Amino acid sequence: MYQHIKRLILAFAIFITLFLVARYFLKPKSFGELGHYRALAIEENAMKELHYAGSENCSKCHDSIRAEKAEGLHSKLKCEVCHGPGYKHAKFAGQFTNGELPDSLKLHKPIERKECAKCHQINAARIKIQFDTIDNSVIKQIDAMKHKLMSKKTKKEQKCIKCHNPHQP
Amino acid sequence: MKEDKSKISRRNFFKKGAIITGGIAVASAFTPFDAVLFATERPKGKGKWYGIGIDINKCIGCGNCAKACKLENNVPEEPFYFRSWVEQYTIKKDGSIIVESPNGGIDGFKQSVPDEEIYKSFFVPKMCNHCAKSPCTQVCPVGATFESPEGIVLIDEKYCIGCRYCVQACPYGCRFVNPAKGTAEKCTLCIHRLKKGLQPACFEICPTEARIFGDLNDPDSKINYFLKNHNCMVLKPHLNTGSKLFYNALTSEVR
Repeated sequence: MYQHIKRLILAFAIFITLFLVARYFLKPKSFGELGHYRALAIEENAMKELHYAGSENCSKCHDSIRAEKAEGLHSKLKCEVCHGPGYKHAKFAGQFTNGELPDSLKLHKPIERKECAKCHQINAARIKIQFDTIDNSVIKQIDAMKHKLMSKKTKKEQKCIKCHNPHQP
Repeated sequence: MKEDKSKISRRNFFKKGAIITGGIAVASAFTPFDAVLFATERPKGKGKWYGIGIDINKCIGCGNCAKACKLENNVPEEPFYFRSWVEQYTIKKDGSIIVESPNGGIDGFKQSVPDEEIYKSFFVPKMCNHCAKSPCTQVCPVGATFESPEGIVLIDEKYCIGCRYCVQACPYGCRFVNPAKGTAEKCTLCIHRLKKGLQPACFEICPTEARIFGDLNDPDSKINYFLKNHNCMVLKPHLNTGSKLFYNALTSEVR
């Protein structure tokens, strides 16, 4: 065999061994188990903190409101749609008696007009006539500029909840 | 030099060429390539294979999904970082199309075009399409983004080098680079909620149940019911991304 071929084979052998050694030490754990990525990254993604608790957790304590809501038009709405994320509230609020709940655990009370308007302000893109063919429910729409009640004392717009009960509209 | 050239004569060249092309033609006759089958191919595993359905007819543009996504996943609050957002499409009578998404719809929508000028208007919620052949995972130089066996496109934050290739590659604009972390970020289909048996935040919070997700491998799942009963379409089908986000009532104006 020619000398230069021998040298080439030796050089390749050294290079490949070095590569394999380096790969052994540098390759992250679990890389390539499922594909060209770290399989552990799926677990890491799944370990993040929760913020929304789910409405089943709400009714464990607030069953009266659930019963009230079940009869109204908002029966399909989950609690956290209006009240915001409540995982911490659901987890820790049980330890406190009424009135002692720290502010960090209190949930949002949507009392402003703009919060109702998010769904109920009239808009050409919100379907008015027949919303769902299965149960014929309709999202009621109002023009917030016209549909309002002025307070005699403060001369300002009254809040929607003055007349409408959001749990049973 | 002369001898080398004469080794492959013209006759031999044609002979060999004919044998190779003929061989390929015969071999391909045994396993015909079907582009449609290739596009709709699913993994052979028996596990879950998530798909998403969005009913444009049902969306009322409240923006709760965009808000819930930001709160659940600690997405930066600036109005240009979104994992999930809502767009209002307004087609005017003169044929022009207006697309609006003020703060992703989080603060609600205000109708900017008077009723008389509108031919048609509707909301389109957007999010990661969780493509089966996602362009964004193919360009990653370090293997930091991938499709999980359940069909969720995820990012490995520890290995992302923030090169922004994937942000460019996504045809749906569903990725961004988190300014604090310096790594790419996208919808994870709330995998941390899925693993605990909960719905992803945007699906949990939708007041009109316009969003549906489920296991495409399960014939009785919600998503399969949705697909069977609606005329569904994916965004940019010509790109052959294998998108698993199916829209009901999607019109060609939506990009």
